[in-house]
Amino acid sequence: MIANLVQLAAEEEQNPLVPPGPELLVGTIAFAIVFFFFWKKLLPNINKVLDERRAAIEGGIEEADAMKVEAQSVLEQYKAQLQEARHEAARLRQEAQEQGATLIAEMRAEGQRQREEIIAAGHSQIEADRKAAASALRQDVGKLATDLAGKLVGESLEDHARQSRVIDRFLDDLEEKAEAAR
Amino acid sequence: MAAMETLAALEGNIGSVGYGLAAIGPGVGVGIIFGNGTQALARQPEAAGLIRANQILGFAFCEALALIGIVMPFVYG
Amino acid sequence: MSADQTQLAFDWSCRIMADNGCGFPAPGLHSFLFKPIATFGGFEFNKVMLLALITTLLVVTFFTLAFGKAKVVPGKLQMIGEAGYDFVRRGIVYETLGKKEGEKFVPLMVSLFFFIWIMNIWSVIPLAQFPVSSIIAYPMVLAAVVYVVWVSMTFKRHGFVGFFKNVTGYDKELGGVLPLVMVIEFFSNLLVRPFTHAVRLFANMFAGHLMLVMFTVASWYLLNSWMIPAAGVSFVMTIVMIGFELFVQAVQAYVFVLLACSYIQGALAEHH
Repeated sequence: MIANLVQLAAEEEQNPLVPPGPELLVGTIAFAIVFFFFWKKLLPNINKVLDERRAAIEGGIEEADAMKVEAQSVLEQYKAQLQEARHEAARLRQEAQEQGATLIAEMRAEGQRQREEIIAAGHSQIEADRKAAASALRQDVGKLATDLAGKLVGESLEDHARQSRVIDRFLDDLEEKAEAAR
Repeated sequence: MAAMETLAALEGNIGSVGYGLAAIGPGVGVGIIFGNGTQALARQPEAAGLIRANQILGFAFCEALALIGIVMPFVYG
Repeated sequence: MSADQTQLAFDWSCRIMADNGCGFPAPGLHSFLFKPIATFGGFEFNKVMLLALITTLLVVTFFTLAFGKAKVVPGKLQMIGEAGYDFVRRGIVYETLGKKEGEKFVPLMVSLFFFIWIMNIWSVIPLAQFPVSSIIAYPMVLAAVVYVVWVSMTFKRHGFVGFFKNVTGYDKELGGVLPLVMVIEFFSNLLVRPFTHAVRLFANMFAGHLMLVMFTVASWYLLNSWMIPAAGVSFVMTIVMIGFELFVQAVQAYVFVLLACSYIQGALAEHH
C-alpha cells in the first residue's frame, strides 16, 4: 500500500512553482466571485451606511452646537435678568434707606419740636408758678412785715395805701441790694 | 577503479544544507530589521504605528528569501 | 492527524522503534498533492479547490450577513465586518495611496485581504488543515490580478513612453550607468516583481504547512516506547507553531495587500 501511494505521489510529483491548470481556473473563479460581490454589492452598501452615519454624527454635532448656542443665549439672558434683579434690589434698598433716613430725620425733627414745645411749656409753667409764688410771697412778707412793724410802732399800719407803699419800697430796696450783690 | 575512493559521503538530501545557507542572510536581515525597529520605537514611541507597519513589511521581504530557500530544494529535488 | 497525509504516503504503523523498518515519514511535496474527490469529465476536483470555493462562500456569506442589511447603528456582526473593512481601507489603502486616489482600489484590496486571509487560515482549521495559498496557482492568480491592475494603471497614467520610463526608473542624471539601471529595473519590476509577489505568499504558506505537518507527524511517529516524552515536546511545538502560523497568515495577507498598494502607488506617482 505504501508503495502504491509513493508511486502515485511520484507520478504526480511536479515542480511546486508550476501551477496546475485547473487550480488556476478555480482560483480565478473563486476570487472573481468575492471581488464582484465586494465591488458591486457589499461595499457600496456599507459605504452608504457609513456616509449616513457620518451625516448623522455630523447632524448630531450640529444639533449639539445649536443647543449649545441656545444654552449660551439662555444663560446670558438669565445672567442679564439676574443682573437686572440685582440692580433693582440695590435700587430698592437704596430707596428704602433714603426713605428710612428721611423718616428718621422727620421723626427726629418732630421729636425735637415736641421736646422744645414741652420744654417751653414747662418753662412758662415754671415762670407762672414763680410769678405766683413771688406775688404770694410778696403779699405774705408785706403782711408779716406790717404786722411786725405795727406791733413795733404800735400803730396800725393797716391803712392800705401806706401799707403797700412801704412794702413796695422795702421790696425794691431788697431787689436793688440783690442786684448790687449780683 | 581503486583510485576512486570515497573519502566522505552525504546521506539524505543536500537541500537541507542549501536551506541552512539560505537562512543565514534572512536571519541577519530579520535581526537588523527588528533591532532597528525597536530602536526607532524607543526613540519615537509616538510613531509606533508607522514603524511597526514598515517593520512587518521589511520582515516579510526578508523572510521571503528564507522561505524561497525552503521551497527551492523541492523545485529542483 | 490531518486529512491530507492520510491520502498520500502516510502509514499509521510507522513508529519509532517499531520493527517494520520504516523511517520517519517526512513531509514533502507529496503533502501538497491530493487525489481528486470527484472527476467531471477530465476535470479533477480536489480538496484544495473545494477549500477555495468554501473560502469564497465563507467570505461572501459573512460580509453579506454583516453588510447586507447594514444599519446606521451597527449590530455585532456588522461591527466586526466594519472593523475589518476599516482596517484595510484606512490602515492599508489610504495610508499608501491616499484617500482620493485610493478610493477606487478599496474593493479590490478588501476582497484580496479577506480572500487571502481565509485561504491561509485553512492551515489550522481541523479537517481542512491545508492552506489553499500553498498551491502556487492561487497566489499566482491573485498576483496576476494585481499585476494587470498595476500595469494598466501605469499605461493609463503615463502613456506608452511614460510606462517604460516608469518601469525602468528612467533618470537622466544617472548618466553612464543609466542603461544598466534601466535593464535591471525593467527586469525587477516587470518580471521579478509579480513572481516574488506570488511566491512570497506561496512560500510562507508552503513552509508553514511543512512545519505543521512535520511536527504533527513527528508527534505520532515518536509516540512509542521510551520516546513518548519527545512526542510530548513535538506536540507542544505543534501548538506553538499553530499560534505562530495564525500570526504569519494574517501578516502575509496584510503584506500581500500592502505590496499591491505600493505597486499601484508607484504607478500613480508622477515621475519627475
